[in-house]
Amino acid sequence: MRISDLIKMGLKNLTRRKARTILTISGVVVGSLLIIIMRSIGHGLDYNFTTQVKQYGSLTTITIEQYGAIYDEDGNWAGSKEQQLSDDLVKQVKALDHVRAVSPVIRQDAQLFSGKYQGYAYITAMDSSVFDDFEFPELTKGEYPSEKDKSMIIFGYMQPWEFYDPTSRMWQSKTIDLDKDKIVLKFRNYMPDPKKREFSLPLKNIAKMAETKSDFDYNTYMDLEYFKSIYTKYCNTLSLKDRKNALKNLENYQQIMLNVDNIDNVEAVQDKIKEMGFQSYSMLQYIRPMIEASRTLQMVLLALGAVSMFVSAISIANTMVMAIYERTKEIGIMKVLGCQIRHIRMLFLFESGLIGFIGGLVGVILGYVASFLINRYGQPLFGQLMSGSYMYDMTNTKFSIIPFYLPFMAMGISIGVGLIFGYFPARRATKIRAIEAMKNEN
Amino acid sequence: MKNNGSMKNNNGNIIEVKNLKKVYKMGSERIIAVDDVSFNIKKGEFCCIFGVSGSGKSTLLNLMAGIEKATGGQILIKGKDIRRMNERNLAKFRQNNLGFVFQSYNLLNAMTALENVELPLVFKHVTPRKRKKMSREMLIKVGLGSRLKHKPKEMSGGQQQRVGIARAFVSNPEIVFADEPTGNLDSKTSKEVMELIVSMARTNNQTIVMVTHDQRLTKYADRIIHIFDGRIEEIEVLHNDSQTQEAAQPDTEAM
Repeated sequence: MRISDLIKMGLKNLTRRKARTILTISGVVVGSLLIIIMRSIGHGLDYNFTTQVKQYGSLTTITIEQYGAIYDEDGNWAGSKEQQLSDDLVKQVKALDHVRAVSPVIRQDAQLFSGKYQGYAYITAMDSSVFDDFEFPELTKGEYPSEKDKSMIIFGYMQPWEFYDPTSRMWQSKTIDLDKDKIVLKFRNYMPDPKKREFSLPLKNIAKMAETKSDFDYNTYMDLEYFKSIYTKYCNTLSLKDRKNALKNLENYQQIMLNVDNIDNVEAVQDKIKEMGFQSYSMLQYIRPMIEASRTLQMVLLALGAVSMFVSAISIANTMVMAIYERTKEIGIMKVLGCQIRHIRMLFLFESGLIGFIGGLVGVILGYVASFLINRYGQPLFGQLMSGSYMYDMTNTKFSIIPFYLPFMAMGISIGVGLIFGYFPARRATKIRAIEAMKNEN
Repeated sequence: MKNNGSMKNNNGNIIEVKNLKKVYKMGSERIIAVDDVSFNIKKGEFCCIFGVSGSGKSTLLNLMAGIEKATGGQILIKGKDIRRMNERNLAKFRQNNLGFVFQSYNLLNAMTALENVELPLVFKHVTPRKRKKMSREMLIKVGLGSRLKHKPKEMSGGQQQRVGIARAFVSNPEIVFADEPTGNLDSKTSKEVMELIVSMARTNNQTIVMVTHDQRLTKYADRIIHIFDGRIEEIEVLHNDSQTQEAAQPDTEAM
């Protein structure tokens, strides 16, 4: 038999029992549709998850805090201990494998004044040479510190907060225009020494970040060296006793931030730091259980798809067995007329494979439609389903994402199921004996 | 017979059956359907296996065609022992040498008359264009030129059997087996069908092996093998080619 004849005959046989063929195909359609939907929702979960987490900082960042948290065996917070975060430690950490960039961090409240209005800024001072490594966002105004000039103050997208007038009755507020209004920065940690002139720094070099929907939006950044220089100036205006205390801020950092080359190495680096006797934390550490929960959910979804595929596989096998019962005499006749056994097997395999193929194809097409509908109208339902992730920005979340390999996978599974579950009926067909053709009951 | 010279060996015997035996086991009981049967059929002969129902004649035909496996003995067709062939070779052998006409026609109901006739050629890898032409010509020969696109269910018994005959002869096999070809037909149609088979076989010097229980059909045969209880009672050799040819000729042309 030629291949073209085989195909023609197979198609003819399938169209002979239209209702049964369509019903069997629908089984496969449901199976492959479910696989696509379930897998795409899994991908949607993953995607949303990583984008959401990114808003809370990079997953490859590890932070060592001045006050390291202490947890008991059950993971409950049991207090904190002070850790000495010195330049020495910075060097040690930098020498660790997989550490890409390290920066000490000083955080300091500062007050901002503009005429009679005042506001405040929470300054994060870091080594400006590693800004890139920590994925600092683009600027909408001004420039990042360079080798030549480090005197920038960089406001996050939401910074500075509204200024207000403390002397007015209603604490009247005002939005400051960074381009026009003059702003002066002051530190107010200690009472100024009345004998000396108060420290005040007019801000000239102002930069502003684009929106990131992450931590950057709520912070104000400075280069560490520059910050140290202005802070030292401030300390010099304090009384002797206060100055000593204030200067300690520069020796013992509040944080050391480090960036690891790969997400898989984060935990290893954290372990190393622990061996050095320091407590550190990373975003990854917190989201690990969430990632695992999401994996479990995906496995459950996939299992659902697999079960429905299995059911449709059984229905394919059933259909093929029925077809063989019906066509027993026909197969006998074909054998008497000289049809080769392997052609009979191929004929039945082609039929079951074609059921899988058509079912898979229709399933893939419907899968894209379903994915579109889920993203369009699935908000109320899927918003609930993903309730663990309260922080989701619901307005433009995609719940279902179909990666490029998924349609091929679904088709492959459908055809494979057709062939595998059609194989045993096909083998049975080859065992039908030619004598069936000679039986005369009609 | 006429074409003895063309045969390579075996004195012109196209089929040789030696000590053929078929035993069915029904539980503990053994039923001997064919019991030590030996005979020869010459090329171009019309051989009729005649017997009452249950005599083992159909089993004998099935054994000769390789449809059933014999319990013992030898079947040589064109000098080849078909009992030694595997399924694959047997299928090839059937494609190239054997044609079949069945009592209940055994046409595939989903296919048109033309497609049914094409079927043996499909198995033989004949190109669609060529086999369509061959099948059409064959159907015209059996007088069904106007029924090419009809499905079996849309045709009378006689017409269906003629499609069956066209299918049996389309690949020009050397031997055509016919199992009660007129068993489901009335006497008038039976006569037409028989004359068709005979005339077709005569044109190409084909060998016919027909099983029947109908005494009237034996008149077409050159050789009649009488079977009773699985044994040969008698082998009659007649020489009535001229008679049947004369009888068949005007009829087929009239159709």
